[in-house]
Amino acid sequence: MTTPGFLSPPTRRRAASREGEGAGREDLERALAEKTALLHEIDHRVKNNLQLVSSLLLLQARHAADPVVRQALRAAQARINAVAIVHRRLFQGEDPECFDVAAFLRDMVEDVIGGSGRTDIRVTLDLERTDLPTAQAAPLALLISELLGNAILHGFPDGREGAITVTAAREGDQLRIEIADNGVGVPTTGSTPGIGQTIVKHLCSQLHTDCQVADAGPGVRATVRLPLDGVR
Amino acid sequence: MNVLIVEDEILLAMELSFLIEEVGCVDVGHAMSSTDALAMAADLRPDLALVDVHLQDGPTGIDLARHIASDCGVVALFMTANVKRLPADFAGACGVVGKPYSEHGMKAALRYLDICLRDGRAPGLAPAGLQLAPAWAERWGLGDLPRIA
Repeated sequence: MTTPGFLSPPTRRRAASREGEGAGREDLERALAEKTALLHEIDHRVKNNLQLVSSLLLLQARHAADPVVRQALRAAQARINAVAIVHRRLFQGEDPECFDVAAFLRDMVEDVIGGSGRTDIRVTLDLERTDLPTAQAAPLALLISELLGNAILHGFPDGREGAITVTAAREGDQLRIEIADNGVGVPTTGSTPGIGQTIVKHLCSQLHTDCQVADAGPGVRATVRLPLDGVR
Repeated sequence: MNVLIVEDEILLAMELSFLIEEVGCVDVGHAMSSTDALAMAADLRPDLALVDVHLQDGPTGIDLARHIASDCGVVALFMTANVKRLPADFAGACGVVGKPYSEHGMKAALRYLDICLRDGRAPGLAPAGLQLAPAWAERWGLGDLPRIA
C-alpha cells in the first residue's frame, strides 16, 4: 500500500513514459501546425507575387506608346493570367494534389473571352467534372489560353461575330478537351509560325499529348486528349 | 463611385488605380496600413474601400473592415489570397475578390458593385471572381440565389 501523494517506482516509471509519449505527440502536432502554416504562407506569397508580375506587365503596357508593343505586353500578360487562374483555385479546394478541370475551364473562358471585350462572341460550355493532377494545371492553362486566344483572334477577325464551344468529356481513360469555333477557318496559305504555335507544340509534348486541328466546316476544331491515369 | 485603395504593395495599388479610373470611378486615395486607412476612410468617406487583408501593420485588414463599417459606414471589398480564412460574416464587408485577380475580373466586380451601391439592388448575379457576403447579397435582393454564379 502506497502513502497518498507518493508514487511507487514502477508507477512513476509508467507515468514518466506516458508523459514522454504525450510530450512527443505534442511536439509532432506543433511541428505539423507550423509546417501547415508555412505552406499557407508560401501559397499566399506565390499568389501575391503572381499578382505583382501581372500588374507590372499591365503597367508597362499602359506606358507603351507603340500599339504593337502594347499588344505584345498584353499578350504576355494574358499568358501569365492563365497561370494566375491556376493558382487562384489552388489550396482552396479539398485536395491540393488535383484540380477541377471544369471549374478551371469556366474561369479561363470568363477571363479570356470576357477580357477580350468581344461581346459578339457567344460561348457554350459542355464540361464534365473531372480532376487532373496539379502538376498539369499550369501547362494546361497556357495551352487552353493559346487555343482560346487563337479562336478569337483568327476565327473572328475584324469584328466578325460567332460562337465558340468548349467541351471537356471523358472518353475511356482519357479526357478530351475541345475548342471549336464557327469562324473563318484554318488559313490556306502557309504563314510563319508565331510564338503561339511554338508554345502550343511544346506544351502538348510536355503534357504527353498532341493538338489536333481540324476543319469544323465552318471554323476550326482544336482537340487535346489527356490521359486520366486513375484520377477521379 | 469614390474608391479608397488599402493595399501595401504599391505596384498593385498603382494598377488598381488605373482599373478604378477605367471603369469610370474615382480613386480618392491610397493607404498601406490600417492606421492610415482608418484616418483616410473617416476623412474621405469613400463609397467603397478595396482592402487587402495583409497590410504593412500585419494581417489587420479584417478588423479594419469592421471598424470602417461601424465607425464611418464605409463598405469594404476584401482582396485576398486566402478567401477561406475570412470570417463567415465577412466582418461587415460586402464581398471578396480572390487574388490573383485578373484585370477583367476586378473591373467586372467594380462595375457590378458601383450599380449595387448606387441602386441598393443587384443587377443580377455577381460576376465570376467576386464572392458576395451573405448579408449584402440578401440586402441587394439576391437572397434566394446562389452567391457565386
